[in-house]
Amino acid sequence: MIEIKNVSKWYGSFQVLTDCTTQVSKSEVVVVCGPSGSGKSTLIKCVNALEPFQQGSIVVDGIAVENPKTDLPKLRARVGMVFQNFELFPHMTITDNLAIAQIKVLGRGREEAVDKGLKLLDRVGLKNQAAKFPGQLSGGQQQRVAIARALAMDPICMLFDEPTSALDPEMINEVLDVMVQLAHEGMTMMCVTHEMGFARKVANRVIFMDRGAIVEDAAKEDFFGQPRSERAQTFLAKILNH
Amino acid sequence: MNYHWDWMFFFQETDDGLKYYDWILSGLGWTTFVSLASLAVALTLGSVLGVMRTTPKRWLVGLGDAYVDVFRNVPLIVQLFMWFFVVPELVPEKLGIWMKQDLPYFVTAIVGLGLYTAARIAEQVKAGINSLSRGQRFAGLALGFTEWQTYRYVRLPMAYRIVLPALTSEAMNIFKNSAVTYAVGILELYFQYKQIIEKTSQVLEITIVVTLSYFILAFVMNRILAFVEARTRVPGLIVGQKGGK
Ligand SMILES: Nc1ncnc2c1ncn2[C@@H]1O[C@H](COP(=O)(O)OP(=O)(O)O)[C@@H](O)[C@H]1O
Ligand SMILES: [Mg+2]
Repeated sequence: MIEIKNVSKWYGSFQVLTDCTTQVSKSEVVVVCGPSGSGKSTLIKCVNALEPFQQGSIVVDGIAVENPKTDLPKLRARVGMVFQNFELFPHMTITDNLAIAQIKVLGRGREEAVDKGLKLLDRVGLKNQAAKFPGQLSGGQQQRVAIARALAMDPICMLFDEPTSALDPEMINEVLDVMVQLAHEGMTMMCVTHEMGFARKVANRVIFMDRGAIVEDAAKEDFFGQPRSERAQTFLAKILNH
Repeated sequence: MNYHWDWMFFFQETDDGLKYYDWILSGLGWTTFVSLASLAVALTLGSVLGVMRTTPKRWLVGLGDAYVDVFRNVPLIVQLFMWFFVVPELVPEKLGIWMKQDLPYFVTAIVGLGLYTAARIAEQVKAGINSLSRGQRFAGLALGFTEWQTYRYVRLPMAYRIVLPALTSEAMNIFKNSAVTYAVGILELYFQYKQIIEKTSQVLEITIVVTLSYFILAFVMNRILAFVEARTRVPGLIVGQKGGK
């Protein structure tokens, strides 16, 4: 579903990504972790071309992202993305947040779009918040709406960039629960997260990044067992002790 | 003080058969018309320029920056003279003659004042867009919006809300700035003011009335935009806070 091959990226002379290669198959859940600044967000943003890259290739559902002829809006509409800071549109009601892209991008009618949005809102347990504005919801609620908004586009896969790291601890689980449910339903997911409990529960593979490179790319059992790179061990020890 | 107050002079007949208050009202009408029309030009062009200056396209940014640099730093009156006296000489001859003979003065004045104010509005719009988190654009793009759609549905609606106070002050300023158009022959309020001073000796009365008129125009504009601000206020969002957090 997602094939990342030898991707390198520079900001000026600073290399953010170094020869990254990995793939996410259909219905697979891949967790990406690594220290802050290691390039996780950059890599995941390359997948739906929110960030350009200078070398290598990324193919999503058979379509080469870096090909200048690729219709990027069309591709992105099929790839759901959830951000660390939710990024709901603050001036729209929750209903409009859920409906707008369905209407403007997919060309669905308003009624159909709202209907679909509300169904998904119900699925993330927020049915009665439809008329509110994002600023009136808690962080955990906003992030669940953001997931529903992405799902409303009927994505073929979902990208998550630290979806719980801006949340107060008591709200993390309500978001993870939604993600776990998604994983169980067979959604293809690439998740940047440090929630190792989530990784243990649903991940098929875990990728560890450091200084722009993929240092470790292993099946979950191998990653949490032995052996693995020293840097990954140090990192794991650090976050598991928290 | 020997000043002879005479508020009734406004009802005296002038050389052209009208009363002085007719002159004032007519001036007020032109001031309002020229100002509002210029504001429309300025908001439209200023928004386009403001957006251009926040795009990832270098040449658009350069073009927008250059416009703002020129139009913000040349005095308004010089710009008006440019449009009236210099531009007609630079364009093809036929067009120049048409501009000088057939194009109504007020159109040129509105364009001049509009283009000047557009540079200032472009600054505000750009600042508004840049004050939004980068993530808002990414979120729009990730949903499949085109770059333009992220402006239309995501960034501009918030940017305008954020800079509405600054836009309000530009909209109030434009009434003041419109007084400069008297210099290119627009019979607006300041023109009538000067004319009445020359014809009568009631300087204080007319000054008070004209001052109040400008004040009322600005005040009404202020109230209208305060109403717009109240109507577009986003529930749950603290003013000045960045989107989505
Ligand atoms: N727009 C940018 N310009 C320059 N450097 C950047 C930019 N965005 C990110 N970086 C740098 O790239 C590196 C990787 O960033 P990021 O992908 O956000 O890391 P992570 O998500 O793993 O914390 C960091 O060192 C960061 O400072
Ligand atoms: Mg990150």
